[in-house]
Amino acid sequence: MDREAEFRRLFDAHRAAVHAYCTGRTGDRQTAADLTQDVFLRVWQHLDKLRDMPGDGQRAWIFTVARNLSIDAGRHARTLTETEDAVAREPASQRPGAPASAPVIAAERVAVVGKAIGRLPEDQRVALTMAAAGAMTSAEIAAVLGVPAGTVRYRLSLARHALAAALDDYDRQGEER
Amino acid sequence: MSLDDDIAAWAATVRLTDTEADGIVGRIVATPIQDQTPRLDPKWWRGFTADFAARMVISTRPVRLAA
Repeated sequence: MDREAEFRRLFDAHRAAVHAYCTGRTGDRQTAADLTQDVFLRVWQHLDKLRDMPGDGQRAWIFTVARNLSIDAGRHARTLTETEDAVAREPASQRPGAPASAPVIAAERVAVVGKAIGRLPEDQRVALTMAAAGAMTSAEIAAVLGVPAGTVRYRLSLARHALAAALDDYDRQGEER
Repeated sequence: MSLDDDIAAWAATVRLTDTEADGIVGRIVATPIQDQTPRLDPKWWRGFTADFAARMVISTRPVRLAA
């Protein structure tokens, strides 16, 4: 397999998980995309070393780089308010008093979820983002984060409770309108 | 909508798109690969050579005998 095809295979295998991890760490999908590019640039430059590793070793190497780069990015991070705004962009606002259409309600619910995720503690946000956006199982997340799978499931449970509460608040406000 | 549907809808808005992914790959593979071969800094070699030459010169001097 040539160098570019080998790189493409690794990129396709890990890009969703790496981007989800970086989104969870930074709270901003665009910053996460930039970090994902930086992570895979290092993969490209160290491909000869990665070729000789087993699959688990490759994943561990890639996520060690992702963690280090996320920490560096965090030092220059924006404020939490800006992060929340980036994660959950406000949908187009409806006119006061007008009945909300289904697409508007759906967009508002996405914004509510995004804002609630932005307010989660980082460990819960990372786990939830990796599960939802990275389509990873608790065991896979646990292996990457170096924590027991039960801990990941607990963090996911707490995160889901927080999101459910935020959506309940949104629904109650809708009934009052 | 269930909570899972809402989370999935949010996830779809943050996930890396195929277009973004292709852009990242294109930029990366266009990057020259850095030479990873470990080698000593040229400054180290210059210092080593100067030091070695000085030692050789000093070693050829006759030893002073005690008076």
